[in-house]
Amino acid sequence: MNESLLRTERLTRHFRVGGLLSRQSLHAVDDVSFEIGRGEIVALVGESGSGKSTIARLLARVYKPSQGEIYFEGRPVSGLSTRGAKLAYSSDVAMVFQDPYSSMNPVYRITHPIGRSIALHRRDVARGKQEYEVEKALGEVGLMPPGRVAGKFPHELSGGQRQRVGFAAALAVRPKLIVADEPVSMLDVSIRIGVLNLMSELREREGLSFLYITHDVASARYIADRVLVLYAGHLVEEGPTEEVIRRPKHPYTQLLLSAVPDPRAPLGLSDAADVGEPPKVIDPGEGCRFRDRCPLAIAMCETVTPELRQIGSRRRVACHVAEPD
Amino acid sequence: MTLPSVADSVEPAGSTVGSGPPEEATKRRAGADLFRAVAHNRKALVGLGLLLFFLVLAIFPGEIAPHDPRAKIYPRGIGPSAHHLFGTTAYGEDVFSQLIWGTRQSVLIAFAVGGLATLIAVLVGVTAGYLGGTTDGVLSLITDVILVIPIFPLIIVIAAYERNSGLVTLVLVLGALGWSYGARQLRSQTLSLRRRDFLEAAVVRGERKSYVIVREILPTMTSLILASFLGAALYAVLFAAGLQFIGLGDPNSLSWGTMLYWAENNEALGAGMPYWAIMPGVCIALLGAAFALLNYAFDEISSPSLRLRKLEARGVDAELPAAVPARPPDPKNVLEVRDLSVAYASEQGPVVAVDGISFDLRGGEFLGIVGESACGKSTLVYAIARLLGAPLAGEITHGQVLFKGRDMVTLSDKQLRHIRWRDYSVVMQSAMNALNPVLTIAAQMRDACEAHSTMSKREIEKRSREVLRLVSIDPVHLHSYPHQLSGGMRQRAMIAMALLFTPELIIMDEPTSALDVVGQRSLMVQIKELQEQLGFAVIFVTHDMSLVRHFSDRLLVMYAAQVAELGRTDQLFERRLHPYTRGLLEAFPSIHGMNERLVGIPGQPPDLLHPPEGCRFAPRCPFVMERCRAAQPALLPVDGELVRCILHGEAAVLETASKEGVA
Repeated sequence: MNESLLRTERLTRHFRVGGLLSRQSLHAVDDVSFEIGRGEIVALVGESGSGKSTIARLLARVYKPSQGEIYFEGRPVSGLSTRGAKLAYSSDVAMVFQDPYSSMNPVYRITHPIGRSIALHRRDVARGKQEYEVEKALGEVGLMPPGRVAGKFPHELSGGQRQRVGFAAALAVRPKLIVADEPVSMLDVSIRIGVLNLMSELREREGLSFLYITHDVASARYIADRVLVLYAGHLVEEGPTEEVIRRPKHPYTQLLLSAVPDPRAPLGLSDAADVGEPPKVIDPGEGCRFRDRCPLAIAMCETVTPELRQIGSRRRVACHVAEPD
Repeated sequence: MTLPSVADSVEPAGSTVGSGPPEEATKRRAGADLFRAVAHNRKALVGLGLLLFFLVLAIFPGEIAPHDPRAKIYPRGIGPSAHHLFGTTAYGEDVFSQLIWGTRQSVLIAFAVGGLATLIAVLVGVTAGYLGGTTDGVLSLITDVILVIPIFPLIIVIAAYERNSGLVTLVLVLGALGWSYGARQLRSQTLSLRRRDFLEAAVVRGERKSYVIVREILPTMTSLILASFLGAALYAVLFAAGLQFIGLGDPNSLSWGTMLYWAENNEALGAGMPYWAIMPGVCIALLGAAFALLNYAFDEISSPSLRLRKLEARGVDAELPAAVPARPPDPKNVLEVRDLSVAYASEQGPVVAVDGISFDLRGGEFLGIVGESACGKSTLVYAIARLLGAPLAGEITHGQVLFKGRDMVTLSDKQLRHIRWRDYSVVMQSAMNALNPVLTIAAQMRDACEAHSTMSKREIEKRSREVLRLVSIDPVHLHSYPHQLSGGMRQRAMIAMALLFTPELIIMDEPTSALDVVGQRSLMVQIKELQEQLGFAVIFVTHDMSLVRHFSDRLLVMYAAQVAELGRTDQLFERRLHPYTRGLLEAFPSIHGMNERLVGIPGQPPDLLHPPEGCRFAPRCPFVMERCRAAQPALLPVDGELVRCILHGEAAVLETASKEGVA
């Protein structure tokens, strides 16, 4: 792996649920440790409710971790105390949101978030030059001609165009890492590829790192160097994308891969529908969270939470049963 | 059953600018939009006119009033004359001049109280909504207490105590008590905004809380703030007049309420001075009406669904065919759609969202309808199910929908009720929106059964358990509320409800799009198994071609309101005749084979308000030729398939072009 840019250490986030007197807590993210290298695209894959978006918001400092720490360029993020330090972090780590229809304020022109990003984070840009910088950012994400696009309001753009504006706003802060939370899941199939290609190009051109959050393994394979598989708040598998897809180790990864719709692959209707439900992660207790759906579960899975362990040179898996090749 | 929300159907406002007239699009601004909306709204114009009229009176009473309003020098208590338009008072003052001078106080109170109450409402409502937690608890409690205080008696008590203390007290008291309703509305609006991504985006970018509240939240609530102001102003005019009328204002002030007070004390109506009593009342009513009309007008402008328009008024002729079909339907077909067109009204003219679509559906067949968002696929199936209506007033303008031989288009609502749900049913896109959140699954199944059959309570319970078992939900969940079920279970419960009467046709509008891959896959397998077991036909709408690859018998590929290609699924996938179909298929990354760079389909679908002259796909087509732009290609049969492309039959051309174009 390249030099590490961001590292999390046993990152945990619980939410209190229920009424005022309730002591129940929802374990959205539990003990998640991973690294993102410079210029690397890492995919975070999991089903809805697995904690993907919570991790995105922890990295973007919308939420504070309940436990654990995020290190950015080696420094702990919880140590940021002054407004200046926090601003500096938000200019290093930007975020792109899932829903292009709600991620822009409808009353402003689409240039508003880009202009604000420049005003907040690039003090060197003179006021008179801001407009030029905004149009440059629009051009960088392929919105042409920038001068004409700049005059528009969000409702005048299509979903794919809006998502490009989202990337332009993220780029405008000159970040080192962009956390992209399901950036294509609400777009039409025909234009998804365009946005994915944009991410690859930005990595090539600007050396940016990405955390690409998705439930679509095929799109993760398309752009990501490495993949992290999340299940019910736990990281269950990690490794280079091609290796994980070719030889998934964790039974959940195997299930996920078998469900990917693929028009080019033949499919037997014989495999029975898996109607297992994702677990409730309210006060989950010890044990593997996948055990009730797992075809390989053994007695130990009931009582001992599997730790992520090294398996092969660059892969890790959290399963008592999985074996190296 | 309730009307569906046509979320994924055509956006009539023309959301894609790329193909619309560009100059107009760039010039359009929010302010100009508002101005145009006001200019087209009769209520707004009348309200504004009245308000302007009273404003002029309030600002220039000295220039307009013919006499000194306080001079008691005229003949007492006379009727209208050329000198005194509305006669004089019992004290010899000119009524007309008093009315004009009295305007100033009413308008002043209206604006001062409106402004003060709105300011407090914004501060309290937005702060409570955005900060939440304890702050919200305390502020909401205060708001609610003020909301339930019987205000009029309280104000009477305060005004009686502070008698003669004048205008400022009146404004302060009315303002301090009149903000709670607006605050509650603003709070709930802020609460609903709080989870919107653009606020989170502002936080991530490093904005301060104050910036988020003032510059991101407040501007989105302009119409609500305006409504709050107008509501408070209306209330102030009426309350102030009421207080002055019962003698709790300054009796020497010049105001409509005070005029009423003196007129009443002198029994003006019976003593030949009717206008002294009537005209202040008329003025109060008119000023109140101005605020009320404006309030109503802004409500309309900010939520266009309140002004549904019929298509006829916009120059579209609906030529519905006679009830008897021209060609007798094939008894093997459960459904025949013939040349169906549907249009929506929009500000800029009619938008044809379904343009002459025809297809047949055999009993027990599985038809997939595939297309991008806003291609009209949802509109098509809602038209077939006769579910078009608010909030988007789509109307069938042409064609027939023969369901088991009967033309659905001409059936009345009453006739439809007999066959809807029994003979065909619909599964909506989002089960959370389609299921009623406050009723249990059992109650919703009971409602459906009672509306469409005469089953007894026991039979209903038995049938409900049966259908839940059919979709692999444990019947213990029968008495659960929708929110207690997972997304996948809710979607299966919707399908269970659709199966209550074992219909012959089930229409499914993206039933799996809210699920993730594992749930999606298991639901598809389940639908297919049920279909094989029960024999119903399925129309399955989706934007994801790969999803229906292994489940549908035939596919209808829709592009820009028309059929681009229609044929057997396996054949269609194999031959991919239409360049659009080919583009869709090549837009999918795969987990198998080489990881190749893909291009998708560049560009975006055309604006249906201004569809391109020739082939509608021409602007995005990698194989486009001069001929394509000249005339629209017809939908023609090619080896048992229907394709709308002039390349058909010229496969060689396609092959060479593909090598150059897609490489």
